[in-house]
Amino acid sequence: MLNRDEWLSLARKLDWDYTYVREDEVFPQVISGHPWLPHAEWKDWEESFKTSYREYVDNQYEKDMAVYAVRDAVGRLENIQKLAAPWLNSLKVHAAALPLAEFTGVIGSLRGARFGRDSAWRTMSTFGALDEYRHTQIPLLLFHQLVRLDSQFDWAHKFYHTNNWFAIAARHFFDELTLGQNAIEFAIGTNFVLETGFTNLQFVGLASLARESSDHIFERMITSIQTDEARHAQIGHPVLEVLMKHDPEYVQYLLDKWFWRSWRTFSILTGVSIDYLTALDQRPYSFKEFMEEWIIDQYLRTLNEFGLKKPWYWNIFENELDIYHHMIYASAYTYRATLWFDFVIPSPAERKWLRQKYPKYWDHMDAVWEQVIERWRTTGPGAANEFAVHGTAMPTFCDLCQLPLSGGTPRKNTANVLARDERKYIFCSEPCRWIFLREPERYANHKDLVKRVLSGEAPAELPNLLTEYFRLTPETWGKDVYHGAYDWLEAKKASVA
Amino acid sequence: MPIPLYGFLEGDTLGLLVLAEEAQTILELARKLQDAANIRVARNDDVELLYNGKTIDPGLTVAQAGLQALDRFDVIWRHSI
Repeated sequence: MLNRDEWLSLARKLDWDYTYVREDEVFPQVISGHPWLPHAEWKDWEESFKTSYREYVDNQYEKDMAVYAVRDAVGRLENIQKLAAPWLNSLKVHAAALPLAEFTGVIGSLRGARFGRDSAWRTMSTFGALDEYRHTQIPLLLFHQLVRLDSQFDWAHKFYHTNNWFAIAARHFFDELTLGQNAIEFAIGTNFVLETGFTNLQFVGLASLARESSDHIFERMITSIQTDEARHAQIGHPVLEVLMKHDPEYVQYLLDKWFWRSWRTFSILTGVSIDYLTALDQRPYSFKEFMEEWIIDQYLRTLNEFGLKKPWYWNIFENELDIYHHMIYASAYTYRATLWFDFVIPSPAERKWLRQKYPKYWDHMDAVWEQVIERWRTTGPGAANEFAVHGTAMPTFCDLCQLPLSGGTPRKNTANVLARDERKYIFCSEPCRWIFLREPERYANHKDLVKRVLSGEAPAELPNLLTEYFRLTPETWGKDVYHGAYDWLEAKKASVA
Repeated sequence: MPIPLYGFLEGDTLGLLVLAEEAQTILELARKLQDAANIRVARNDDVELLYNGKTIDPGLTVAQAGLQALDRFDVIWRHSI
């Protein structure tokens, strides 16, 4: 019997010449991606970590058993019930937004498994697809048991099947990134940009917070997932190497587009969890610090390694590090019934910490929280007063990212209107506008929530919008975790009296 | 027929949809946005409305000011000008 090293190389690189069909018929550009190159250009494609199917299965089995062992030891409902309420809401954000998005990663990976231009790439993508199944199934299994504890966890399954505004935005992002993507752009957008960069935010960052929050089952689950991400993310580098020889300008465009789109989504998913939904004494760093250490340094080093430039919008991005997720969180707090998880107001100690970590614009955000707190002070705490401390006017959304128009700062919002083909579009930022204008035919017919309401496709009245269109219920729509009954808020009220 | 507009109030964290009436004054439109954003931004009576980068006379009507569906307008604190 041959040993591993004698057969693995042959099994990985099993390409052949076609005689009955042309190569461009086997790998059409529309689904294999641009630039279309003959296989001779791809034949040196090498992944840095090589594995066989048997090794893959053995390794994944062991990782699964390790997760289930932790679940059996500390994952019972009584263990989960001991976790802090804000942290549980961080889990609800992750549970809804990520597992089924990972399932779309199965589809994207399978596109690489069929239309990747070298057999080693296709083999790695096959493992990547199996990984993404795992990243769907394990969280769904673990979060499903929590539905008995809190029906908002049902949104792990439900979220992407609704027209909730954040689901519209997340679908807009993942549909393009994964479901509808050709093999090359998937390798660049997902494997290179998202998985070598932004999944670190969600999986490494949250694993660290979970450990600090004593949430050992979530920590083990996402750490286990991250080990897969680190392996199949390697698909991106050798694809990038080939593309750089033939169309570096296109590579720069793809990187700049997907860095921005990933930033928009993950600054919300991870930024809110780190800076608001984790207890203050359990935050080892701020979201911005984590971005700087884990994303920016590494990403810039990689760009430099390939002779690529920083994205043209880098100054805008750096400015947003200080403010964007704060604007989104405060906006979302005041529209919390439109979401499937509960919120907290940052306490005086947390606001002091946020001011230290985000000195550039925190004064603006603090004024917003003062106003929200004043409203609770006026109405008094209690579940019955939730809607008295809630927005009533229709929020507005970007025609590219589909997220609220919260770009820029409270002093100067960067939303901008574009008139095109007798229609008007609005974008939260210059990068979103730039992405739209590079491929308008891709995006122009997608309606944001405001235009759905104005066309009568979605209800205009908030209660109907919540229940009929967002598919929320009074039990599941978001609330203040404490219904405004904060110790520090009461104390301030007493001192005012 | 109400005119849907994108309103941005200085100090706020997002833009809001404001349904304006043609006969409504610019001052009334500014107040309408302030009321809609009051959960996040304290009322400030000393404001101006900007449209296409220019300050609009508060006595003009929405129609006279030329605001059209899905245009952006801003309500800013007077000292910011």
